[in-house]
Amino acid sequence: MTTRATSERRRPPEQTRARHPDAEGFVERGGVRVFWERHGDGEPTLLLLPAWSIIHSRQWKAQVPYLARRYRVLTFDGRGNGRSDRPAGAGAYDDGQYVADALAVLDATGTRRAVLVGLSRGGRWAVELAAARPERVLGAALIDPALPFMAPLPREQGYPFEEELDSTEGWAKFNRHYWLREYRDFLEFFASQAFSEPHSTKQIEDMVGWGLETSPETLVATQLGAQPASREEVEAVLRRVRCPVLVVHGDGDRVRPHAVGAAVAELTGGALVTVEGGGHCPQARHPVRINLLLREFVESLGGMAR
Amino acid sequence: MRAREPDADGYVDRGGVKLHWARAADAVLDATGTDRAVLVSLSMGAMWALWLMANRPERVLGSVFIGASVPLGPGYDDRQQPFEEPYTSTEGWARYNRHYWLDHDRDFLGFFFSRCFTEPHSTKPVADSVGWGLETSPEVLIAESHAPWPEEATLRGWGAAGRCPVLVVHGDDDRISPLRRGAALAEASGGALVVLEGAGHIPLARDPVKVNLLLREFVEGLPARSGP
Repeated sequence: MTTRATSERRRPPEQTRARHPDAEGFVERGGVRVFWERHGDGEPTLLLLPAWSIIHSRQWKAQVPYLARRYRVLTFDGRGNGRSDRPAGAGAYDDGQYVADALAVLDATGTRRAVLVGLSRGGRWAVELAAARPERVLGAALIDPALPFMAPLPREQGYPFEEELDSTEGWAKFNRHYWLREYRDFLEFFASQAFSEPHSTKQIEDMVGWGLETSPETLVATQLGAQPASREEVEAVLRRVRCPVLVVHGDGDRVRPHAVGAAVAELTGGALVTVEGGGHCPQARHPVRINLLLREFVESLGGMAR
Repeated sequence: MRAREPDADGYVDRGGVKLHWARAADAVLDATGTDRAVLVSLSMGAMWALWLMANRPERVLGSVFIGASVPLGPGYDDRQQPFEEPYTSTEGWARYNRHYWLDHDRDFLGFFFSRCFTEPHSTKPVADSVGWGLETSPEVLIAESHAPWPEEATLRGWGAAGRCPVLVVHGDDDRISPLRRGAALAEASGGALVVLEGAGHIPLARDPVKVNLLLREFVEGLPARSGP
Protein backbone atom coordinates (compact mmCIF):
# COMPACT_ATOMS: atom_id res chain seq x y z
CA MET A 1 0.00 0.00 0.00
CA THR A 2 1.44 3.33 -1.01
CA THR A 3 -0.87 5.38 1.15
CA ARG A 4 1.40 5.11 4.17
CA ALA A 5 4.30 6.90 2.57
CA THR A 6 1.94 9.55 1.25
CA SER A 7 0.42 10.17 4.65
CA GLU A 8 3.82 10.50 6.29
CA ARG A 9 5.00 12.93 3.66
CA ARG A 10 1.98 15.13 4.11
CA ARG A 11 2.28 15.42 7.85
CA PRO A 12 3.38 18.90 8.93
CA PRO A 13 5.31 19.40 12.16
CA GLU A 14 2.94 18.81 15.02
CA GLN A 15 1.66 21.73 17.09
CA THR A 16 2.78 22.01 20.67
CA ARG A 17 0.77 19.70 22.86
CA ALA A 18 -0.51 20.39 26.36
CA ARG A 19 -0.20 16.70 27.16
CA HIS A 20 1.54 13.80 25.49
CA PRO A 21 0.09 10.30 25.32
CA ASP A 22 1.08 7.62 27.83
CA ALA A 23 0.80 4.94 25.16
CA GLU A 24 0.20 4.77 21.44
CA GLY A 25 0.02 2.16 18.73
CA PHE A 26 -1.63 0.90 15.59
CA VAL A 27 -4.38 -1.61 15.03
CA GLU A 28 -4.57 -3.25 11.64
CA ARG A 29 -7.73 -4.48 9.97
CA GLY A 30 -7.71 -5.80 6.42
CA GLY A 31 -4.34 -4.21 5.75
CA VAL A 32 -5.44 -0.77 6.97
CA ARG A 33 -3.55 0.61 9.94
CA VAL A 34 -5.36 2.85 12.41
CA PHE A 35 -3.39 4.93 14.93
CA TRP A 36 -4.54 5.24 18.54
CA GLU A 37 -3.35 7.03 21.67
CA ARG A 38 -4.04 6.58 25.37
CA HIS A 39 -3.87 9.36 27.96
CA GLY A 40 -4.24 8.78 31.69
CA ASP A 41 -5.22 5.63 33.55
CA GLY A 42 -8.24 6.56 35.67
CA GLU A 43 -11.66 4.95 35.61
CA PRO A 44 -13.69 4.62 33.49
CA THR A 45 -12.24 4.59 30.00
CA LEU A 46 -13.52 7.22 27.58
CA LEU A 47 -13.22 6.49 23.86
CA LEU A 48 -13.24 9.79 21.95
CA LEU A 49 -14.24 8.71 18.46
CA PRO A 50 -13.06 10.32 15.26
CA ALA A 51 -15.41 12.43 13.17
CA TRP A 52 -15.35 12.94 9.42
CA SER A 53 -11.80 12.40 8.16
CA ILE A 54 -11.57 16.04 7.11
CA ILE A 55 -10.10 16.27 10.64
CA HIS A 56 -8.33 13.81 12.95
CA SER A 57 -7.88 13.05 16.62
CA ARG A 58 -6.41 16.46 17.43
CA GLN A 59 -10.02 17.65 17.23
CA TRP A 60 -10.12 16.60 20.91
CA LYS A 61 -7.06 18.59 21.96
CA ALA A 62 -9.06 20.77 24.32
CA GLN A 63 -10.68 17.74 25.98
CA VAL A 64 -7.83 15.26 26.38
CA PRO A 65 -5.69 17.09 28.97
CA TYR A 66 -8.70 17.80 31.18
CA LEU A 67 -10.37 14.41 30.95
CA ALA A 68 -7.10 12.49 31.31
CA ARG A 69 -6.61 13.90 34.80
CA ARG A 70 -9.53 11.75 35.94
CA TYR A 71 -10.15 9.09 33.34
CA ARG A 72 -8.43 6.79 30.90
CA VAL A 73 -8.86 8.49 27.55
CA LEU A 74 -8.51 6.76 24.19
CA THR A 75 -8.47 8.55 20.85
CA PHE A 76 -7.77 7.35 17.34
CA ASP A 77 -7.31 8.91 13.94
CA GLY A 78 -10.17 7.95 11.67
CA ARG A 79 -9.00 6.10 8.57
CA GLY A 80 -8.26 8.65 5.89
CA ASN A 81 -6.40 11.19 8.04
CA GLY A 82 -3.88 11.74 10.83
CA ARG A 83 -1.44 8.89 11.27
CA SER A 84 -3.94 6.32 10.04
CA ASP A 85 -3.84 4.91 6.52
CA ARG A 86 -5.74 6.38 3.61
CA PRO A 87 -7.05 3.34 1.75
CA ALA A 88 -8.51 3.89 -1.69
CA GLY A 89 -12.14 3.20 -2.52
CA ALA A 90 -15.40 4.17 -0.88
CA GLY A 91 -15.89 0.71 0.66
CA ALA A 92 -13.02 1.35 3.03
CA TYR A 93 -15.01 4.22 4.51
CA ASP A 94 -18.35 2.54 5.20
CA ASP A 95 -19.80 3.35 8.61
CA GLY A 96 -19.15 -0.27 9.55
CA GLN A 97 -15.41 0.20 9.01
CA TYR A 98 -15.18 3.02 11.56
CA VAL A 99 -17.29 1.07 14.06
CA ALA A 100 -15.05 -1.98 13.60
CA ASP A 101 -11.96 0.23 14.00
CA ALA A 102 -13.36 1.52 17.28
CA LEU A 103 -13.91 -2.02 18.54
CA ALA A 104 -10.41 -2.99 17.41
CA VAL A 105 -8.95 -0.10 19.41
CA LEU A 106 -10.90 -1.18 22.50
CA ASP A 107 -9.58 -4.73 22.04
CA ALA A 108 -6.00 -3.67 21.37
CA THR A 109 -5.92 -1.52 24.49
CA GLY A 110 -7.51 -4.20 26.68
CA THR A 111 -10.61 -2.10 27.24
CA ARG A 112 -13.67 -4.11 28.24
CA ARG A 113 -16.10 -1.21 28.41
CA ALA A 114 -15.94 2.49 27.67
CA VAL A 115 -17.94 5.67 27.62
CA LEU A 116 -18.17 6.76 23.98
CA VAL A 117 -17.87 10.40 22.97
CA GLY A 118 -18.64 11.20 19.35
CA LEU A 119 -18.80 14.39 17.32
CA SER A 120 -20.86 14.67 14.14
CA ARG A 121 -20.28 11.41 12.22
CA GLY A 122 -18.56 10.12 15.33
CA GLY A 123 -21.89 10.50 17.09
CA ARG A 124 -23.42 8.23 14.46
CA TRP A 125 -20.70 5.63 14.90
CA ALA A 126 -21.09 5.82 18.69
CA VAL A 127 -24.79 5.06 18.34
CA GLU A 128 -24.11 2.19 15.94
CA LEU A 129 -21.49 0.74 18.29
CA ALA A 130 -23.73 1.13 21.34
CA ALA A 131 -26.59 -0.59 19.52
CA ALA A 132 -24.44 -3.43 18.20
CA ARG A 133 -22.23 -4.11 21.24
CA PRO A 134 -24.11 -2.90 24.32
CA GLU A 135 -21.86 -4.92 26.64
CA ARG A 136 -18.89 -2.74 25.65
CA VAL A 137 -20.58 0.65 26.09
CA LEU A 138 -21.20 2.36 29.42
CA GLY A 139 -22.71 5.50 27.98
CA ALA A 140 -22.68 7.64 24.86
CA ALA A 141 -22.15 11.40 24.69
CA LEU A 142 -23.11 12.66 21.24
CA ILE A 143 -22.01 16.13 20.17
CA ASP A 144 -23.83 17.59 17.18
CA PRO A 145 -24.52 14.02 16.00
CA ALA A 146 -24.83 13.51 12.25
CA LEU A 147 -27.71 11.04 11.97
CA PRO A 148 -29.37 11.20 8.55
CA PHE A 149 -33.13 11.49 8.01
CA MET A 150 -33.77 12.92 11.48
CA ALA A 151 -34.52 16.45 10.31
CA PRO A 152 -34.36 18.38 7.04
CA LEU A 153 -30.94 19.78 6.27
CA PRO A 154 -30.68 23.52 5.61
CA ARG A 155 -31.92 24.31 2.11
CA GLU A 156 -28.63 25.92 1.11
CA GLN A 157 -26.96 22.49 1.41
CA GLY A 158 -29.15 21.08 -1.36
CA TYR A 159 -26.54 20.53 -4.09
CA PRO A 160 -25.75 17.15 -5.64
CA PHE A 161 -22.34 15.87 -4.60
CA GLU A 162 -21.40 13.94 -7.72
CA GLU A 163 -22.66 16.15 -10.56
CA GLU A 164 -20.70 18.93 -12.21
CA LEU A 165 -22.32 22.19 -11.10
CA ASP A 166 -22.48 25.62 -12.69
CA SER A 167 -22.13 27.35 -9.36
CA THR A 168 -19.13 27.36 -7.03
CA GLU A 169 -20.78 29.56 -4.41
CA GLY A 170 -21.53 28.50 -0.85
CA TRP A 171 -22.58 24.89 -0.39
CA ALA A 172 -22.11 24.28 -4.11
CA LYS A 173 -18.51 23.84 -3.05
CA PHE A 174 -19.58 20.62 -1.30
CA ASN A 175 -19.05 18.75 -4.55
CA ARG A 176 -16.50 16.12 -5.57
CA HIS A 177 -15.47 17.96 -8.70
CA TYR A 178 -14.90 21.16 -6.80
CA TRP A 179 -12.89 19.35 -4.14
CA LEU A 180 -10.56 17.93 -6.76
CA ARG A 181 -10.08 21.39 -8.29
CA GLU A 182 -10.14 23.76 -5.32
CA TYR A 183 -9.57 21.63 -2.25
CA ARG A 184 -8.25 24.35 0.02
CA ASP A 185 -11.04 26.75 -0.86
CA PHE A 186 -13.57 24.05 -0.01
CA LEU A 187 -11.85 23.44 3.33
CA GLU A 188 -11.93 27.12 4.17
CA PHE A 189 -15.60 27.32 3.27
CA PHE A 190 -16.55 24.24 5.24
CA ALA A 191 -14.56 25.39 8.28
CA SER A 192 -16.31 28.76 8.14
CA GLN A 193 -19.64 26.92 8.28
CA ALA A 194 -18.54 24.52 11.01
CA PHE A 195 -17.29 27.45 13.11
CA SER A 196 -20.04 29.99 12.71
CA GLU A 197 -19.27 31.70 16.02
CA PRO A 198 -17.27 34.96 16.05
CA HIS A 199 -13.60 34.74 17.01
CA SER A 200 -13.09 31.28 15.48
CA THR A 201 -10.05 32.07 13.35
CA LYS A 202 -7.83 29.64 15.24
CA GLN A 203 -10.30 26.77 15.05
CA ILE A 204 -10.84 27.45 11.34
CA GLU A 205 -7.10 27.47 10.71
CA ASP A 206 -6.72 24.19 12.58
CA MET A 207 -9.49 22.52 10.61
CA VAL A 208 -8.07 23.67 7.28
CA GLY A 209 -4.63 22.45 8.31
CA TRP A 210 -5.94 19.04 9.33
CA GLY A 211 -7.95 18.83 6.12
CA LEU A 212 -4.78 19.45 4.12
CA GLU A 213 -3.18 16.42 5.80
CA THR A 214 -5.41 14.21 3.70
CA SER A 215 -6.27 14.49 0.02
CA PRO A 216 -9.41 15.45 -1.87
CA GLU A 217 -9.45 11.96 -3.41
CA THR A 218 -9.55 10.41 0.05
CA LEU A 219 -12.22 12.81 1.22
CA VAL A 220 -14.37 11.94 -1.80
CA ALA A 221 -14.07 8.27 -0.83
CA THR A 222 -15.20 9.03 2.74
CA GLN A 223 -18.23 10.81 1.36
CA LEU A 224 -19.25 7.79 -0.75
CA GLY A 225 -18.91 5.15 1.98
CA ALA A 226 -22.07 3.36 3.07
CA GLN A 227 -24.32 5.18 5.55
CA PRO A 228 -27.82 4.34 6.82
CA ALA A 229 -30.18 4.31 3.86
CA SER A 230 -33.52 5.18 5.42
CA ARG A 231 -35.18 6.85 8.37
CA GLU A 232 -36.49 3.45 9.48
CA GLU A 233 -32.96 2.11 9.60
CA VAL A 234 -31.73 5.05 11.69
CA GLU A 235 -34.69 4.86 14.06
CA ALA A 236 -34.19 1.13 14.54
CA VAL A 237 -30.56 1.70 15.53
CA LEU A 238 -31.43 4.54 17.89
CA ARG A 239 -34.15 2.50 19.60
CA ARG A 240 -31.72 -0.34 20.23
CA VAL A 241 -29.42 1.89 22.32
CA ARG A 242 -29.75 0.85 25.98
CA CYS A 243 -26.98 2.86 27.65
CA PRO A 244 -27.39 6.37 29.08
CA VAL A 245 -27.16 9.00 26.34
CA LEU A 246 -26.26 12.68 26.43
CA VAL A 247 -26.82 14.77 23.33
CA VAL A 248 -25.16 18.19 23.11
CA HIS A 249 -26.12 20.30 20.10
CA GLY A 250 -25.51 23.91 19.16
CA ASP A 251 -28.54 25.88 18.12
CA GLY A 252 -26.35 27.74 15.64
CA ASP A 253 -25.11 24.55 13.95
CA ARG A 254 -25.13 25.22 10.19
CA VAL A 255 -23.90 21.76 9.23
CA ARG A 256 -26.35 19.55 11.11
CA PRO A 257 -29.35 21.39 12.52
CA HIS A 258 -30.23 21.31 16.21
CA ALA A 259 -33.40 19.39 15.36
CA VAL A 260 -31.23 16.35 14.56
CA GLY A 261 -29.82 16.29 18.07
CA ALA A 262 -33.27 16.80 19.56
CA ALA A 263 -34.63 13.80 17.60
CA VAL A 264 -31.66 11.63 18.60
CA ALA A 265 -32.18 12.50 22.26
CA GLU A 266 -35.86 11.65 22.03
CA LEU A 267 -35.40 8.32 20.28
CA THR A 268 -32.63 7.18 22.63
CA GLY A 269 -34.30 8.54 25.76
CA GLY A 270 -31.22 10.68 26.26
CA ALA A 271 -30.78 14.12 27.78
CA LEU A 272 -30.47 17.08 25.43
CA VAL A 273 -28.24 20.05 26.23
CA THR A 274 -28.40 23.01 23.86
CA VAL A 275 -25.32 25.16 23.36
CA GLU A 276 -26.81 28.59 22.72
CA GLY A 277 -25.17 30.15 19.69
CA GLY A 278 -22.97 27.08 19.32
CA GLY A 279 -21.82 25.98 15.89
CA HIS A 280 -20.98 22.51 14.65
CA CYS A 281 -17.84 21.81 16.70
CA PRO A 282 -18.50 23.13 20.21
CA GLN A 283 -15.79 20.92 21.71
CA ALA A 284 -13.25 23.22 20.03
CA ARG A 285 -15.09 26.50 20.41
CA HIS A 286 -16.66 26.01 23.87
CA PRO A 287 -14.23 23.55 25.42
CA VAL A 288 -14.82 24.37 29.09
CA ARG A 289 -18.57 23.94 28.74
CA ILE A 290 -18.18 20.67 26.87
CA ASN A 291 -15.53 19.35 29.27
CA LEU A 292 -17.77 20.02 32.27
CA LEU A 293 -20.74 18.40 30.55
CA LEU A 294 -18.69 15.32 29.73
CA ARG A 295 -17.40 15.06 33.28
CA GLU A 296 -20.90 15.46 34.69
CA PHE A 297 -22.17 12.79 32.32
CA VAL A 298 -19.40 10.36 33.24
CA GLU A 299 -19.94 10.97 36.96
CA SER A 300 -23.68 10.43 36.53
CA LEU A 301 -22.96 6.90 35.34
CA GLY A 302 -21.83 6.24 38.90
CA GLY A 303 -20.90 2.77 40.08
CA MET A 304 -21.64 1.05 36.83
CA ALA A 305 -18.81 2.95 35.22
CA ARG A 306 -16.33 1.48 37.71
CA MET B 1 -10.72 67.46 37.34
CA ARG B 2 -7.66 69.06 38.83
CA ALA B 3 -5.43 68.28 35.92
CA ARG B 4 -3.52 71.54 36.07
CA GLU B 5 -2.89 71.58 39.78
CA PRO B 6 0.79 72.41 40.30
CA ASP B 7 2.76 69.66 41.91
CA ALA B 8 5.74 70.02 44.19
CA ASP B 9 8.10 69.08 41.41
CA GLY B 10 6.14 70.84 38.72
CA TYR B 11 5.79 67.87 36.43
CA VAL B 12 2.11 67.32 36.96
CA ASP B 13 1.56 70.88 35.87
CA ARG B 14 3.81 70.53 32.84
CA GLY B 15 2.44 67.12 31.96
CA GLY B 16 -1.13 68.29 32.10
CA VAL B 17 -3.74 65.60 31.66
CA LYS B 18 -1.13 62.96 30.95
CA LEU B 19 0.11 63.03 34.52
CA HIS B 20 -3.25 63.55 36.12
CA TRP B 21 -3.57 59.79 36.25
CA ALA B 22 -0.39 59.44 38.29
CA ARG B 23 -1.99 61.60 40.96
CA ALA B 24 -5.21 59.68 40.58
CA ALA B 25 -3.36 56.42 41.22
CA ASP B 26 -1.87 57.96 44.35
CA ALA B 27 -5.36 58.99 45.44
CA VAL B 28 -6.73 55.48 44.84
CA LEU B 29 -4.07 54.07 47.13
CA ASP B 30 -5.15 56.59 49.77
CA ALA B 31 -8.84 55.92 49.30
CA THR B 32 -8.40 52.17 49.63
CA GLY B 33 -6.14 52.44 52.66
CA THR B 34 -3.22 50.94 50.77
CA ASP B 35 0.14 51.91 52.19
CA ARG B 36 2.22 50.12 49.59
CA ALA B 37 1.56 48.29 46.36
CA VAL B 38 3.19 46.52 43.46
CA LEU B 39 2.51 48.58 40.34
CA VAL B 40 1.57 46.92 37.05
CA SER B 41 1.31 49.25 34.08
CA LEU B 42 0.53 48.90 30.40
CA SER B 43 1.61 51.16 27.54
CA MET B 44 1.49 54.84 28.53
CA GLY B 45 0.66 53.76 32.07
CA ALA B 46 4.44 53.39 32.29
CA MET B 47 4.69 57.15 32.67
CA TRP B 48 2.45 57.17 35.73
CA ALA B 49 4.25 54.21 37.28
CA LEU B 50 7.58 56.02 36.75
CA TRP B 51 6.21 59.15 38.42
CA LEU B 52 5.01 57.17 41.41
CA MET B 53 8.34 55.34 41.68
CA ALA B 54 10.21 58.64 41.78
CA ASN B 55 7.77 60.72 43.81
CA ARG B 56 6.14 58.16 46.11
CA PRO B 57 8.99 55.67 46.52
CA GLU B 58 7.80 54.66 49.99
CA ARG B 59 4.56 53.37 48.49
CA VAL B 60 5.99 51.27 45.66
CA LEU B 61 7.08 47.71 46.41
CA GLY B 62 7.88 46.91 42.82
CA SER B 63 6.93 47.95 39.33
CA VAL B 64 6.08 45.84 36.27
CA PHE B 65 5.93 47.54 32.87
CA ILE B 66 4.10 45.78 30.02
CA GLY B 67 4.41 47.14 26.49
CA ALA B 68 5.77 50.36 27.99
CA SER B 69 5.09 53.34 25.74
CA VAL B 70 7.21 56.26 26.87
CA PRO B 71 9.52 58.37 24.70
CA LEU B 72 12.83 56.78 25.62
CA GLY B 73 14.69 56.81 22.33
CA PRO B 74 13.09 56.85 18.92
CA GLY B 75 9.67 55.43 18.20
CA TYR B 76 8.43 54.16 14.87
CA ASP B 77 8.92 56.40 11.84
CA ASP B 78 5.53 55.54 10.36
CA ARG B 79 3.85 56.94 13.47
CA GLN B 80 5.28 60.41 12.80
CA GLN B 81 2.10 61.89 11.35
CA PRO B 82 0.56 65.34 11.81
CA PHE B 83 -1.98 65.20 14.61
CA GLU B 84 -3.39 68.72 14.64
CA GLU B 85 -3.62 69.59 10.94
CA PRO B 86 -6.48 68.35 8.78
CA TYR B 87 -5.65 64.90 7.50
CA THR B 88 -4.75 64.46 3.84
CA SER B 89 -4.62 60.68 3.91
CA THR B 90 -6.78 58.05 5.55
CA GLU B 91 -4.22 55.26 5.26
CA GLY B 92 -2.33 53.69 8.15
CA TRP B 93 -1.07 55.97 10.88
CA ALA B 94 -2.38 59.06 9.05
CA ARG B 95 -5.53 58.16 10.93
CA TYR B 96 -3.80 59.09 14.18
CA ASN B 97 -5.22 62.57 13.75
CA ARG B 98 -7.66 64.55 15.85
CA HIS B 99 -9.85 65.45 12.90
CA TYR B 100 -9.98 61.87 11.72
CA TRP B 101 -10.97 60.74 15.22
CA LEU B 102 -13.86 63.19 15.24
CA ASP B 103 -14.98 62.03 11.78
CA HIS B 104 -14.33 58.29 12.02
CA ASP B 105 -14.03 57.29 15.65
CA ARG B 106 -14.78 53.58 15.19
CA ASP B 107 -12.57 53.21 12.14
CA PHE B 108 -9.65 54.75 14.01
CA LEU B 109 -10.21 52.41 16.94
CA GLY B 110 -10.35 49.40 14.62
CA PHE B 111 -7.10 50.45 12.97
CA PHE B 112 -5.33 51.26 16.20
CA PHE B 113 -6.18 47.97 17.88
CA SER B 114 -5.30 46.00 14.75
CA ARG B 115 -1.82 47.44 15.25
CA CYS B 116 -1.91 46.66 18.97
CA PHE B 117 -2.84 43.03 18.36
CA THR B 118 -0.55 41.87 15.59
CA GLU B 119 -0.80 38.24 16.68
CA PRO B 120 -3.05 35.94 14.63
CA HIS B 121 -6.41 34.98 16.15
CA SER B 122 -6.88 38.29 17.96
CA THR B 123 -10.40 39.11 16.80
CA LYS B 124 -11.79 38.89 20.33
CA PRO B 125 -9.30 41.25 22.03
CA VAL B 126 -9.70 43.66 19.08
CA ALA B 127 -13.49 43.57 19.46
CA ASP B 128 -13.16 44.08 23.23
CA SER B 129 -10.81 47.02 22.84
CA VAL B 130 -12.87 48.76 20.17
CA GLY B 131 -15.90 48.37 22.44
CA TRP B 132 -14.03 49.94 25.35
CA GLY B 133 -12.79 52.73 23.10
CA LEU B 134 -16.37 53.50 22.14
CA GLU B 135 -17.23 53.92 25.82
CA THR B 136 -15.32 57.18 25.78
CA SER B 137 -15.41 59.92 23.16
CA PRO B 138 -12.94 61.20 20.59
CA GLU B 139 -12.97 64.51 22.46
CA VAL B 140 -11.59 62.82 25.56
CA LEU B 141 -8.96 60.95 23.55
CA ILE B 142 -7.91 64.22 21.91
CA ALA B 143 -7.59 65.98 25.26
CA GLU B 144 -5.40 63.19 26.58
CA SER B 145 -3.23 63.02 23.48
CA HIS B 146 -2.93 66.79 23.31
CA ALA B 147 -1.08 67.01 26.60
CA PRO B 148 2.69 67.07 26.25
CA TRP B 149 4.90 64.18 27.34
CA PRO B 150 7.52 64.68 30.01
CA GLU B 151 11.02 65.12 28.60
CA GLU B 152 13.07 62.00 27.99
CA ALA B 153 15.63 63.15 30.57
CA THR B 154 12.84 63.58 33.10
CA LEU B 155 11.55 60.06 32.47
CA ARG B 156 15.05 58.64 32.77
CA GLY B 157 15.48 60.57 36.02
CA TRP B 158 12.30 59.07 37.45
CA GLY B 159 13.46 55.61 36.44
CA ALA B 160 16.83 56.13 38.11
CA ALA B 161 15.23 57.62 41.23
CA GLY B 162 13.04 54.58 41.80
CA ARG B 163 14.42 52.17 44.38
CA CYS B 164 12.14 49.19 43.90
CA PRO B 165 12.63 46.02 41.82
CA VAL B 166 11.50 46.48 38.23
CA LEU B 167 10.34 44.02 35.55
CA VAL B 168 9.86 45.13 31.96
CA VAL B 169 7.81 42.79 29.75
CA HIS B 170 7.80 43.68 26.07
CA GLY B 171 6.70 41.94 22.87
CA ASP B 172 9.24 41.82 20.07
CA ASP B 173 6.43 42.52 17.57
CA ASP B 174 5.05 45.53 19.45
CA ARG B 175 3.98 47.86 16.63
CA ILE B 176 2.95 50.69 18.97
CA SER B 177 6.06 51.04 21.09
CA PRO B 178 9.22 49.35 19.84
CA LEU B 179 11.03 46.80 21.94
CA ARG B 180 14.05 49.13 22.09
CA ARG B 181 11.99 51.47 24.27
CA GLY B 182 11.22 48.65 26.71
CA ALA B 183 14.91 47.80 26.74
CA ALA B 184 15.79 51.47 27.39
CA LEU B 185 13.32 51.56 30.26
CA ALA B 186 14.79 48.42 31.81
CA GLU B 187 18.24 49.96 31.57
CA ALA B 188 17.14 53.33 32.97
CA SER B 189 15.36 51.74 35.92
CA GLY B 190 17.83 48.93 36.57
CA GLY B 191 15.13 46.37 35.87
CA ALA B 192 14.98 42.96 34.26
CA LEU B 193 13.73 42.70 30.68
CA VAL B 194 11.60 39.78 29.52
CA VAL B 195 11.03 39.72 25.75
CA LEU B 196 7.90 37.91 24.58
CA GLU B 197 8.56 36.41 21.15
CA GLY B 198 5.95 37.22 18.53
CA ALA B 199 3.92 39.27 20.99
CA GLY B 200 2.34 42.61 20.15
CA HIS B 201 1.60 45.62 22.31
CA ILE B 202 -0.91 44.11 24.74
CA PRO B 203 0.31 40.65 25.70
CA LEU B 204 -1.74 40.62 28.91
CA ALA B 205 -4.84 40.10 26.75
CA ARG B 206 -3.27 37.88 24.12
CA ASP B 207 -0.86 35.79 26.23
CA PRO B 208 -2.60 35.98 29.61
CA VAL B 209 -1.18 32.81 31.11
CA LYS B 210 2.39 33.78 30.33
CA VAL B 211 1.89 37.29 31.71
CA ASN B 212 0.05 36.05 34.80
CA LEU B 213 2.86 33.66 35.64
CA LEU B 214 5.47 36.39 35.13
CA LEU B 215 3.54 38.71 37.45
CA ARG B 216 3.22 36.02 40.09
CA GLU B 217 6.89 35.14 39.85
CA PHE B 218 7.83 38.82 40.18
CA VAL B 219 5.61 39.38 43.21
CA GLU B 220 6.83 36.21 44.93
CA GLY B 221 10.42 37.26 44.28
CA LEU B 222 10.13 40.64 46.00
CA PRO B 223 12.10 41.13 49.24
CA ALA B 224 10.24 39.88 52.31
CA ARG B 225 7.99 42.57 53.66
CA SER B 226 5.95 43.06 56.81
CA GLY B 227 2.36 44.08 57.14
CA PRO B 228 -0.34 44.05 54.47
